[in-house]
Amino acid sequence: MGSLPVTATSIRRGRRLRFSPGGAVVWLFLVALGVIALFPFALMVGTSLKPIEEIFESGRLLPRHLTFGTYAEVFGHSLLMRYLLNGVIVTVVVLAGQLLVNIPAAYAFGKLSFPGREALFSLVLAALVFPRYIAAVPNFLFLSRLRLINTYAALILPFIGSSLGVFLMRQFFRQVPWEYFDAARLDGCSLSQMLRHVLMPLIRPAIGAFSIFSVVAHWNDFFWPLVVINTSKMLTPPAGIVYFADVEAGTRWNIVMAASVVIIAPLLIAFIAARRQFISSLTTTTLKG
Amino acid sequence: MKTAQPAHLARWAGWRLLNPYLLILPFFAFVGLFVFWPVAYSVFLSTMEWKLGYASREFVLLDNYVKLFASREFWDATVNTLVYTVFMVVFSIGFGLLLSLAITRRERFSSMWQAVFFLPVAATMAAMAVVWRYIFDANLGTLNAILQQIGLRRIDWLNQGSTAMGAVIFVSVWSNAGYAMVYFVAGLSAIPRALYEAADMDGASPVRKFFAITWPLLSPTTLFVMIIMMVRALGSFDIIKVLTNGGPVGETRVLSLLLYQEAFQFFDTGYASGIAVVLFILVLALALLQMKVEKWVHYQ
Repeated sequence: MGSLPVTATSIRRGRRLRFSPGGAVVWLFLVALGVIALFPFALMVGTSLKPIEEIFESGRLLPRHLTFGTYAEVFGHSLLMRYLLNGVIVTVVVLAGQLLVNIPAAYAFGKLSFPGREALFSLVLAALVFPRYIAAVPNFLFLSRLRLINTYAALILPFIGSSLGVFLMRQFFRQVPWEYFDAARLDGCSLSQMLRHVLMPLIRPAIGAFSIFSVVAHWNDFFWPLVVINTSKMLTPPAGIVYFADVEAGTRWNIVMAASVVIIAPLLIAFIAARRQFISSLTTTTLKG
Repeated sequence: MKTAQPAHLARWAGWRLLNPYLLILPFFAFVGLFVFWPVAYSVFLSTMEWKLGYASREFVLLDNYVKLFASREFWDATVNTLVYTVFMVVFSIGFGLLLSLAITRRERFSSMWQAVFFLPVAATMAAMAVVWRYIFDANLGTLNAILQQIGLRRIDWLNQGSTAMGAVIFVSVWSNAGYAMVYFVAGLSAIPRALYEAADMDGASPVRKFFAITWPLLSPTTLFVMIIMMVRALGSFDIIKVLTNGGPVGETRVLSLLLYQEAFQFFDTGYASGIAVVLFILVLALALLQMKVEKWVHYQ
């Protein structure tokens, strides 16, 4: 894992900065596609700053009269704030549960030998490829049997056991040599000290990569809340914004855009702050789309 | 692989508490309950005639599949899935490759450009799909406003059959090309620089260098990205649900959306489970293919 090889190696190559027609074409191509890539974000922010009279001029990116009233309305809207709270609760509890449950399993698979390990690990690999849709109906039935529909538990429980988490972190545990444990023992470490001061620092990169993946996946998840939630106040941000746009906002697109900005902002800020970690995290977790 | 635990460590005070079976138990409890059992139960349900909320369920063996394969809806959704997947994969890979080639030449800005094109990947898709719905909106939409300014007529992009699928694919490529790009950037950096230097000395043109060096050496990456993109395409839900909800009249309804509607809007549990099994088989085939490719990529 770690950072992508590209950015490290390619940057150090000698650069040639002379003008060439081919180079200009490449620049044009990049700028054109860059504009398309960023346009929806620009439109979203631009529209969110427009007063309601201006949303009919959707060809205009920037507002004529800047207003922040849209954001005041979003932050004053109890349902939208509830979506954000739900999103935070679900992603945080899912991640905490995942780390608690999957790290020990990853450790056992990576570092201990026991009868049946290979067979059990092939089950982990198998679980890696199951698409979420195949489990959706039975999980819905099971959760409704437990009377958990419309609860945080329904949004959280199905995701605690993560074969992807076990798979990623196992790789890291495997690379930790036994000599480290020996050294810790000779220094008189207790077991918990050993875990905290020897093991955890060594697998921190794996935990980081998995955490980014997990938070992004569950903050963004749209499908599962639609399945197990049927009251508006229990929705998470993605399903919440769609509900808000469909049912509440009507043509008040400026408010919808402001709400979208607020919902997208936490991840985008994190992405911009830790680009490399984000990209490598989201690309080492390939199979789960 | 040798990971046997040394004997003296096993005797370490407290170490025995770390019984491996105890360590993996919580994980398997959760995965068993929410992954393995549901998958098996899905297969079982697909042999049942059962509408949720009705007391009766009846074992019908393959009737759901017969119904499935005889239904217009299912084949339409399958064709839509195929069309969506092919275009999404081809364009995402095409643009991803072109972007990676363009970026690796601009060394100083490579990281900045990567961030620009990866931004759509990291953004919450459902929320961005709402923005795209505004762009494509028939009355207020940005696209139509631009068309009108240059004197063309308005188009109801998301509500007419000839444009809806195109719009959906466009947004899908917008959100996936950057993802493909990252893999190609990594693949390109693994190609030895010396090959290009040798080609330069022989006076090879850039086009020739691409087809003689870049393309063949990149082909394992390309295959890998292709499979990842196919899995992503088969799993696509957010974009289509928000942009068109499968409409107009089912023109953009793909298998995942059909499954959602049958299972959670019409509550035809058995029938929906049949769709789930079909989808599962498709993804499984791709996953097996990926494992093969991964071996090939790593061992050559």
